[in-house]
Amino acid sequence: MTIDELRAKAAERQQTCTQIKKMIVSRLDLEIEPDWITDDQPLFGRGLELDSLDVLELYVAIEAEFGVALYDSEMAVFGSVSRLADEVNPQLKAAA
Amino acid sequence: MTTVLAHAHPGDTVYGQVGDASVPLRFAGLSAEYQVLRDRAAVLDLSGHRLIEISGPAAVDFAQRLLARDVEYLTSERCMMSLVLDDAGQVVDQVLAFGRENGLLLESSVGAGTRLIEHLRANNDEGVEITDRSGDLTVLGLEGPYAWGVVGRLIDGELASLPFEAVSDTVWNDVEIIFARTGFTGEYGYQMIVPIESAADLWRAALEHVAAAGQEALELAMLEVRQPIPRLETAGGVNVIEIGANWLVDVTKDEFVGKEAVLAAFESGQGRRTVGFSGGDTVPEPGARVLAGGEDVGEVVLAVRSVGLGATLGLARVDAELAAAGLEFTVEGVDVTTLTSPYIVPKSWSIPII
Repeated sequence: MTIDELRAKAAERQQTCTQIKKMIVSRLDLEIEPDWITDDQPLFGRGLELDSLDVLELYVAIEAEFGVALYDSEMAVFGSVSRLADEVNPQLKAAA
Repeated sequence: MTTVLAHAHPGDTVYGQVGDASVPLRFAGLSAEYQVLRDRAAVLDLSGHRLIEISGPAAVDFAQRLLARDVEYLTSERCMMSLVLDDAGQVVDQVLAFGRENGLLLESSVGAGTRLIEHLRANNDEGVEITDRSGDLTVLGLEGPYAWGVVGRLIDGELASLPFEAVSDTVWNDVEIIFARTGFTGEYGYQMIVPIESAADLWRAALEHVAAAGQEALELAMLEVRQPIPRLETAGGVNVIEIGANWLVDVTKDEFVGKEAVLAAFESGQGRRTVGFSGGDTVPEPGARVLAGGEDVGEVVLAVRSVGLGATLGLARVDAELAAAGLEFTVEGVDVTTLTSPYIVPKSWSIPII
């Protein structure tokens, strides 16, 4: 791949990650800018410190925003924003 | 600083100097220790973590100013991981802060105690008491998907289900210890702060239930879940944003040392970003160049042989526009792929405490 193709591929993932971060901040009413959350940041326990109630909120938000139902998914999909991006935008995983 | 548990370790333990501490790197071999940590539970000698007591009327104000996260209401039943920054926003250390009746107890990262205590003393505008407690207290850890079971057999099953970052002052074998639910590896994790004279007894008691894991296995498991390893990730004058440790900084706090510099770095959008990568059989050295489409776009921060992945696993710091998973880079002529974190999913995420 050329560097321009790599940049385009990275931009697609970063765009999805940004969309997820905005959704998290909005839905959970966090007092931070979405970009303060990093793509690799853990979401549960350490990291963003989400709890099980937050997860329920995110399930609903993800379905509304991306049309993807994650209710039966393993907790690993919430391992990071980037991991979540793979789930809500399967093209990212397919292209990896 | 030599580990206070050296006399309790096997004779063939391999030690290494990490910052100001001599720590056990390996006991039975990296692969075996890693498997124990990821599949069952391991006991950890964390005596290379310095314990520093902050006390006096202004202790909380001092800690609130020096730590990058909000510790104003940190009770004696809670602990919290936070970065400590200098005025330039660079990482002095990553600490675990325990709320105490008379102030706080700070646990440094491995081998960073001297640097941390010097920084605290140099910034002691409030006139608090800063006491190095490493002469009388030390730290043992338990981590693994079944560490909770070990807690039950070793101390008290009730403690195993403490919430994350909860702390309990308890008694083991007639000795007062501070017990905390913590964790560095994504697995169930616990720490026990224990008087030095009882540490070897607790270590041996733990070994009746689990095997020991050394610093190499611990740091590999930390890397796999993108838990920052300060001693390996903060060299070269990089800032918090470049490291990707934003979550250890609370920018909603009114004030703390380094805040202005961190915000300036964040708002500028400049600098590089850190991303994980895997691939190849060789382990590149820190500083090895990272190429994308033939262009130099960054460098390797650290790399190891991952037992879990069966391949090289590392972190690279690259141009921000290329800091994303799923990209093909080249490092020292070897093709590598950038990864989505966590690089290994901890077994604890699918095993409930029962």
